[in-house]
Amino acid sequence: MSFVKKNGGKAFDVLQNLPRITLANLRPEPGAKKAEKRRGRGQHGGNRSGRGHKGERQRGNRPRLGFEGGQTPFYLVIPKYGFNEGHSRRPQYQPLTLKRLQYLIDLGRVDPTQPIDLTQLVNARGVTIQPLKRDYGVQLVDEGSDIFEAKINIEVQRASEGAIAAIERNGGVITTSFYDPISLGILIKPVPFFMRGQPIPRRMLPGEDMVPYYTSAENRGYLADPEEIQQARRALAQKYSYVLPDISKDELYHMLAMRKDVRQIFFGLCPGWVVNMPEKKILKPTDEKLLEYYSS
Amino acid sequence: MAASMLVQRTAALCGTFKGISVSKAVRPVNSHYGFMLQTACYNPRPLRLDLRGPYIPDKDSIKTPEWQKTARYDRKLFGRYGSASHIDPASLWPSHGELEKIIAEEKQWHPPLEVMLKNIEAKEKEKTEKRLAKEKLIAANMAKMPKMIEDWRREKRETKRKLKEEKAQKAKLLAEARERFGYSMDPRSPKFLEMVAEIEKEEKKKKKLLKRRVKEEQVAAPPVAQS
Repeated sequence: MSFVKKNGGKAFDVLQNLPRITLANLRPEPGAKKAEKRRGRGQHGGNRSGRGHKGERQRGNRPRLGFEGGQTPFYLVIPKYGFNEGHSRRPQYQPLTLKRLQYLIDLGRVDPTQPIDLTQLVNARGVTIQPLKRDYGVQLVDEGSDIFEAKINIEVQRASEGAIAAIERNGGVITTSFYDPISLGILIKPVPFFMRGQPIPRRMLPGEDMVPYYTSAENRGYLADPEEIQQARRALAQKYSYVLPDISKDELYHMLAMRKDVRQIFFGLCPGWVVNMPEKKILKPTDEKLLEYYSS
Repeated sequence: MAASMLVQRTAALCGTFKGISVSKAVRPVNSHYGFMLQTACYNPRPLRLDLRGPYIPDKDSIKTPEWQKTARYDRKLFGRYGSASHIDPASLWPSHGELEKIIAEEKQWHPPLEVMLKNIEAKEKEKTEKRLAKEKLIAANMAKMPKMIEDWRREKRETKRKLKEEKAQKAKLLAEARERFGYSMDPRSPKFLEMVAEIEKEEKKKKKLLKRRVKEEQVAAPPVAQS
């Protein structure tokens, strides 16, 4: 008979013979629970209850925050300058770190074998987008670029150079695309939109101030030339000194090469279609004018 | 308007459109725990569709509120109940007139990409031209600077020199007056002015004499040279 060595040894025996864990056997880690400060009780908490001696301090009549006893306060001495002018009209992009993206992929909330879209990120509760608060989408931030290791096809609205480099270094594909506010609202909440019974609208093009961003290959814009994007990929690989992996030899090449059309909001759904949730049917228009409009 | 087609859902095509079912994808993951099979799934919120007693408002009755007779509400009914709402699906899309309005609006407010690129190019060109013109102007002016500095310095020197001369002249006259009359007098007084006039006359005479002499010498010198 072969001797099977148990790992753990005496500690394992002790553990097996210990009594069952109940509330009576548990105790918090020393330093985990701090006693609450109770005012007005006892020798130390009582008497003046931590309010000081007489005056406005004890009687709770201190002047407003920022008041400096009559001297012109700091917040009024400094003259106004238009730093915040028009701040409520500026487009905002919710940041998404690579660290968080890796976290979501590791936990299985985001599926890396399918193209990652803003819809996927919102479904996974990875980001929260508020289109009514001038949010124009999500931006990729290169905070966790050193620990990022996932080959994905991701589409965001803005991306920093380091984030692009990190994704392409792992053999992935990144695209930046524009969604106007209506399309964004549809993108993040598709099911309520389908319940409205409206045909899927066309995605609008970016405004003149954003067109240079989305037509440049350095930002991997969706309006840019594919050859320029290839060149930019090589240039970035040289800049960040990593070997650019060849995607065309990848098994997931077909998935990585999936990209939306300029006017398309959802993968697999064209503008003009009506999606019916209760009967699980899609309705497509057949009128030529409508078709012409929706496919232009 | 032509009738619309009813098509079965094409679930295989789309990556983002998922129905009521749970979406799952299985993929092998190489982590430091060894070869592990990980499932990616999210549990979508269940769609509570109550199709037992659909409320479809009576269009002809007066009691139904106005907002329940609009096209927008019809679309919502269709979206909620499907064909049970007895709404012609063709009415979901805009009519020809509405479509033309939409197209006109888009043409006005959303120019195509080529137009936008052209505008951007034009603006950039204008900016660069302005900048170049400004830089040219600055360069030209800077090239002129040494000469202008020299001129200005010369002017300053001239004025200084003239001032000095004037001062010296005045001092000389004052001294002359003092010598003649024995006391320092005010240069504005009439005596002083007479004295100045006399001095000027004497100087003119001297000059005339000098000129005559120079002329005589000139006249004398060439005939001597000739002969």
